[in-house]
Amino acid sequence: MTQADLHFELSQHRLDNGMHVVVAPDHDAPGVAVNIWVEVGSADEVAGRTGFAHLFEHLMFQGSANVASGEHMATVEALGGTVNATTSSDRTNYFETVPRGALDLALWMEADRFESLAITPENFEAQRQVVKEEKRQRYDNQPYGDLLELLVAQHFNPDHPYGHLTIGSMEDLDASSLDDVAGFFRAWYPASNLRLVLCGPVSDDEGLALAAKYFGHLPSAPKPERAPIAAAEVGNPVDTSVSRPVPHSLSYLSWATPPAAHADVPALDLALSVLSDGHASRLHRSLVKRSDVAYEVHGGMLTNRSTDSITTMISRPADGVTLEQVSDAVLDGLARFLDEGPTEEELARAVAQYERDWLWDLATTSGRSDAINEAWLVHGDPHRLNTYLAEVLALTPDDLRAAAAKWLAPEGAHRLLYRAEAPR
Amino acid sequence: MNRPEVRLGTPWHFPTPTIVRLGNGLSVWHFHLPGQHVATYEVVLPTQLTYEERDKEGIGNVTLHAIDEGTRTHPDGAIGELLEAQGTTLHGGTRYRYSTFGGQTPSRRLREVLPLFAEVLSEPAYAERDVAHHVEAQIAGYASRLASPAAANRIALREALFEPDHREARPTGGTPETLVNITAADAVQWHADHFSPAGATLVVAGALELDEVLAGISGWQGAPPVADGLRPASPLQAPKVVVVDHPDAVQATLAVGTRTVTRHDARWPALRVAGHAVAGAIASRLNLELRERMGYTYGIRGGFTPGADEGQFTVGGSVRTEVAGDAVARMLEGLALGTPLTEQEAHDARQFLIGIAPLANETSADIVNQGATLAGSGLGPDYLNAHFAQLAGVTAEQATVAFREVIDPAQLTIAVTGAAAELVPELEGLGLEVSLRPAP
Repeated sequence: MTQADLHFELSQHRLDNGMHVVVAPDHDAPGVAVNIWVEVGSADEVAGRTGFAHLFEHLMFQGSANVASGEHMATVEALGGTVNATTSSDRTNYFETVPRGALDLALWMEADRFESLAITPENFEAQRQVVKEEKRQRYDNQPYGDLLELLVAQHFNPDHPYGHLTIGSMEDLDASSLDDVAGFFRAWYPASNLRLVLCGPVSDDEGLALAAKYFGHLPSAPKPERAPIAAAEVGNPVDTSVSRPVPHSLSYLSWATPPAAHADVPALDLALSVLSDGHASRLHRSLVKRSDVAYEVHGGMLTNRSTDSITTMISRPADGVTLEQVSDAVLDGLARFLDEGPTEEELARAVAQYERDWLWDLATTSGRSDAINEAWLVHGDPHRLNTYLAEVLALTPDDLRAAAAKWLAPEGAHRLLYRAEAPR
Repeated sequence: MNRPEVRLGTPWHFPTPTIVRLGNGLSVWHFHLPGQHVATYEVVLPTQLTYEERDKEGIGNVTLHAIDEGTRTHPDGAIGELLEAQGTTLHGGTRYRYSTFGGQTPSRRLREVLPLFAEVLSEPAYAERDVAHHVEAQIAGYASRLASPAAANRIALREALFEPDHREARPTGGTPETLVNITAADAVQWHADHFSPAGATLVVAGALELDEVLAGISGWQGAPPVADGLRPASPLQAPKVVVVDHPDAVQATLAVGTRTVTRHDARWPALRVAGHAVAGAIASRLNLELRERMGYTYGIRGGFTPGADEGQFTVGGSVRTEVAGDAVARMLEGLALGTPLTEQEAHDARQFLIGIAPLANETSADIVNQGATLAGSGLGPDYLNAHFAQLAGVTAEQATVAFREVIDPAQLTIAVTGAAAELVPELEGLGLEVSLRPAP
């Protein structure tokens, strides 16, 4: 018995103004997920004007021709729905899940803000302040708050499109004018640059008709194209060492690995899982359980759409072990893996864990609609939602070994040694 | 185009589980959810942390975390490999009044997993090395929490709300001073005393039939748990203002709170409505004031949370250091509820609290978490539907009156973590008496 082949129904459409629509009916779902991906992220910002993509995540809730400031969120909440927005390097995501009887209202409010956003001096200034507090709360006032920035800096020059964080530079936000902000909206927010996914108790015909009814009158403008993005400059591995007032020293080893849609990504993902996901993983066993080298080992991947991704292996050294020693031990374990590859049992465990994670991501209409948009933008095909798991389940031990050998060469690892100032 | 009308459907009901009491004393709540590809299951153990010895606090949590490292039948990680091969992840958590232990597995694989789960519950090995590893992890985790302003502030608030000798004044997971005393023998003893099917509840939801669940879990064996009884009360404490000094902080992390009544109180539905309107909603009074109007913060959130015996009301967020005093003043003013809640505010809050339920119970994990909370609090699965019916009848006046009765701004305890040199004068400027904690 296998459920590797999933059968989520979905159909793909394009409105006359260029807006893309997918309807994924699920008649038993408790609400309809409305998930809009605007194909703009922080990688589309230009030098000196960083933080704009994310700023819109805020401004888009400040009102439009027929919706007052704050009314969008308040209305959805008061209907028993959920609503929010997120920004990454590659896209800006606006989403809500509402009862079926409120779907028309949700689409009407969405369309209103894409048509007539209130980009006013008052809204701009208030949200600039809120974004500054967000940056303080999420980065500057957190232990390890600059870790991600240091990691990204090892892989990209500051002026590379992926060389800055989505939150952007507060100096850039302070220096920008209302015209700059309005220009960004005009450039990136036309209907042709939107992908709308509806997932829930709505039929294909109904979904398409509603999308056309509420978004069809948005003006037709050519789809903006992302400027060509250079690969990260492949240089020698970078060593960075910092000391900070944090509770624990950490080693971050990292590699430039291929973009999100590359064929090697699933095998690389499973290889990381065999190496470092959970207590049965190789590195946990050899460095934590069977020796006193590390207290923790984890792996992770920050995937990018248009350039190299970043794959990391994080370790926290055991007492008396230096960051250099724990880093070397991780690389030794990795070298053995590249030599031997995983056993059939290790692969089976990684696959089973992947299956649970994947199915879990699809368990809500909200999660599913987002996965559809991801499959659509990153892989060019929303239907890949249904076939991706089968691809992962078909991988062999040698696929994992080969992908890891190609991308995770121990001698090519960047090292970020993040030292606790007062080790305990 | 005109604003579309909204047509809301019929009220939603929390699903009704099949409840079975087994010969070994275990109650099973089974939610049959054929559409769920991933099943969730959780055992609720009525274990109170008051049983922990004072110098070994955290033993309950360590025991729970080390339980699946090995069993007598499958020692030294072998049980973990079998569980992972079936796509299983296990997790546990301790609360003051009960503990939970459970996991998630693809529904199609759960039949194979439940006997392994029962094996973990029945015969964990607690190898010394594994327990030592989890003690270290908990000590490290405590240091990480102290370094995080929000977590450090929560610890400070809790400490201020209970008298020092009361278990609830201190973290559920213990502190480095108590964790360091915990041995494998302690874990074995805690397990023997508390991990028993007798009196426990298994809550399970997914695409699996009841008889398969019962067959899978029937292997769980254990002696009866130590007797119930220790439940000392802690009188309400005088309100305090505590500043935890983080000299380099670039923000002030605020929390304002008090201990309150809980679900047993007739005013509970009205309090939830009021709490949502004042501090819970994105468009709550306090968030609109401090975020949207003043631009002080990324967000202010809060409200009432229930417990088995009593509840809490807390509101918090992070604000610019130089406006922290003004933010506290505005919070206290808002919490005085000088302006009664409007019918519109009460309507929106009711609608959210009732209307969010179907989305908040969409997955097997949502249902099981909710079921485990009810079982751990001594409530049945029908509690929620009765609660929704009560919520629907709450008026603005009832919500206002209940809130004013329960929340007295002069009796609220305030915890602030940040740069004390700036914060203390700001708070003292409000006429508050500040007690300063040095940097951790």
